[in-house]
Amino acid sequence: MLKNKKFMLVAVAASLSFTSLVACSSKTNTGSSTTTPASKAAATAAATAAGPKPELKSLQIWQKDDYNTYPVAKYLEQATGYKVQYDMLPQDKPQDKLNILIASGEPYDAITTAGSTDFKALYADYAKKGALTDLGPLIDKYGPNIKAAIAPSALEAAKIEGKLYAIPTTSLSFAGESLYIRQDWLDKVGMKAPTTLDELTAVLKAFKEKDPGGNGDKNIPLTVKGDAPIIPNIAGAFGLANFWNDVNGKLTPRVLDPAYKDYVTYVSDLFKQGLLDKEFAANKDATAKEKFSSGKAGMIMIHWADVPTINDALIKNIPTAKATYIPTLKGKDGKIGLSATQGFDRITYIPKASKHPEDAIKWMNAKLEKDTFRTMAIGEENKHYTLKDGAYTPILPIFTDERNQANNFLMGTDDKIYPTYWQARVRKDMRLFDAWNFMNTLQPANTKIPDPLGYAPYLTEFSKNFQPLNTMVNDFTTKLIFGAEPMTGIEAFQAKFKSSGGDASYKEVNDWYATAKK
Amino acid sequence: MHKKTLGDWTFDIGIYLVLLLCGLATLLPLANILSKAISEESAVISGKVGIFPVGFQLDTMKYVVSSNQFLHSIGISLLITVVGTLLAILLTAISAYPLSKRHLPGISIIMVMFIFTMMFNGGIIPNYLLMKKLHLINNLWSLMLPALISVFNMLVIKSYYESLPEALEESAKMDGARNFTILFRIILPLSVPVIATIALFYAVYFWNDYFHPMLYINDAGLKPLQLYLRDIVMDADSSSAVNKSADDLMNVSAEGIRAATVIASIIPMLLVYPYLQKHFVKGVLIGSVKG
Repeated sequence: MLKNKKFMLVAVAASLSFTSLVACSSKTNTGSSTTTPASKAAATAAATAAGPKPELKSLQIWQKDDYNTYPVAKYLEQATGYKVQYDMLPQDKPQDKLNILIASGEPYDAITTAGSTDFKALYADYAKKGALTDLGPLIDKYGPNIKAAIAPSALEAAKIEGKLYAIPTTSLSFAGESLYIRQDWLDKVGMKAPTTLDELTAVLKAFKEKDPGGNGDKNIPLTVKGDAPIIPNIAGAFGLANFWNDVNGKLTPRVLDPAYKDYVTYVSDLFKQGLLDKEFAANKDATAKEKFSSGKAGMIMIHWADVPTINDALIKNIPTAKATYIPTLKGKDGKIGLSATQGFDRITYIPKASKHPEDAIKWMNAKLEKDTFRTMAIGEENKHYTLKDGAYTPILPIFTDERNQANNFLMGTDDKIYPTYWQARVRKDMRLFDAWNFMNTLQPANTKIPDPLGYAPYLTEFSKNFQPLNTMVNDFTTKLIFGAEPMTGIEAFQAKFKSSGGDASYKEVNDWYATAKK
Repeated sequence: MHKKTLGDWTFDIGIYLVLLLCGLATLLPLANILSKAISEESAVISGKVGIFPVGFQLDTMKYVVSSNQFLHSIGISLLITVVGTLLAILLTAISAYPLSKRHLPGISIIMVMFIFTMMFNGGIIPNYLLMKKLHLINNLWSLMLPALISVFNMLVIKSYYESLPEALEESAKMDGARNFTILFRIILPLSVPVIATIALFYAVYFWNDYFHPMLYINDAGLKPLQLYLRDIVMDADSSSAVNKSADDLMNVSAEGIRAATVIASIIPMLLVYPYLQKHFVKGVLIGSVKG
């Protein structure tokens, strides 16, 4: 652990000093050496594929299987003509490793990272320090497909100080987490799935009093994990679907939102009545799932990606169990909403240390060629998927084996068509599809509320303060729900929130928001 | 021998209790992981698996042990451990020998130079840049070369050499043996306990090293086991889930698979340990009286 700390400090030092390092890093070839058996094989393979096109080096996000041996890599090599050596960042503290690689000028031709706030901050930092290649002129010259495929708004949002340094892979805009309920419990107490907050309270009360699961004093009407005291779906009914929400034309963080107090009052009331898991603050993600799948809890907050596993376990334990998502809840004044992702799933950039920036762009451009893109994303028709009535259905198990991790090979998507292709990925499992479909297509369109900050450019104060403030708010909210802090303490906390960077973030975010709305 | 008093009894029982607790504290988590590895996934998810497996099955273990990436990583780890340990022991043992001869001219200066590296070193970034200049990034030698001589281990061996009677060497010299013969035919065979201990130290170091591969290895094909493990275990960590897209979430490996990976990865060390353990205990004593 000590070492890790040291490592982080050094990584910070590295990022500070890297401009000079970038400048003096040598241009000698540090490509894979030939002393080990594995790289020997790679070297001979490279020799046979020798042609006018250089071998590219790409740094990718972590995945379970080796990129180099993944079927998509083979397909792409044949389709684009570029042999690519893929490396990957570690799963643990990828930011630190990335800092070292950039600082030491590793000659990567493409670097793909997540598109979350912290990685956007790194990207902006590198761009400002001059470590990245300006892609604008290259795309004009070699990237017609890139221009055609990626939404102009996304490209605009990826710009740093007016110049484009990265190719964004946009997130598909989906709602992810909601409340999942035991349908058989509902049937037993003779009620329907709740659609409003009052109905939710009534259902939870019935779960507690009538104990349809027969759990006695272990009965838990609703369980959530400890780091989610602001419960999706319930929060949406108070207009707090996202971290920041539009309140009278200004983006406002949840804790400064006038509705925050109402939300906490409602949830702490659930807690007081014993309707919310008494131990929720100590729940890890796995603990909450244990409680639900062992039949002790009547409701849980989960992501639709977890549905098949949870459902399997639940039915194994209680064969008569049936579970489903509840509709999006309506609040008193008609407020409603589930947070939906918006923004960048990945960003790909070319460092200055790259030896083949032009080829890298040509390669990315080739990946966005219509047929290549489809085959990369979901495979070949009648081999990996079938197409019927405009819906792509995967053929199993080959789709799982050869395309499950295809999303990691994307560098920009064809934004008009990709959402349709993507559905093949949820159709792997009908329960997965049903869960996703219920939340994202069956519910009215106005119940999905995209994160308004998703397309925000890099905001210094906001990025710096986002995580610490979020932790602060979560802790405080948990205390309020437990009754460890009085409701009258909210104003004092708001003052603390503002002085801990909340004010600076607010100003920065709304300065941008004012220009973005125009 | 006097009869045990009440005080003695309570003292003994107290000691046994403490030892028992320590034993359980290490054994129970292992039992838990093992049971998860061989239990049904549904039982694992619903938290029914404690120290005993529920719904015994071996498919998960089979899946993990036959996965290419796992086998590849374990191969890399074995390679580093075997080659690294052999070289390290050889170099450490032969560099300790001259240093144990205090009468040699200038030997104390060389000794100080060794000790110096124990106290001061370049740190991570300079080391990284050194590896880069040596073209050893993404090369397994980067994990072995810097660790071939640990000064501390060398000192342990050196003090062991010093404890051997001088007369042995003198008699060998009379029979016409040269320095190398003395070292390899007389000294090393007599030093097997300490060599075995140090070999174990090195082997455990090479096997467990996670930090250096994380720095120097980017090619997934060259990742040793610990790095692979770390990645797999981190996969389901909720702190990393913040950055995950829905696609990643659908691909997270199941809890049972992670447990099975952990279990499978300790098997090689488990196989080696019993054979070296007796030396290990002896060796620790030797280290303690080196004074």
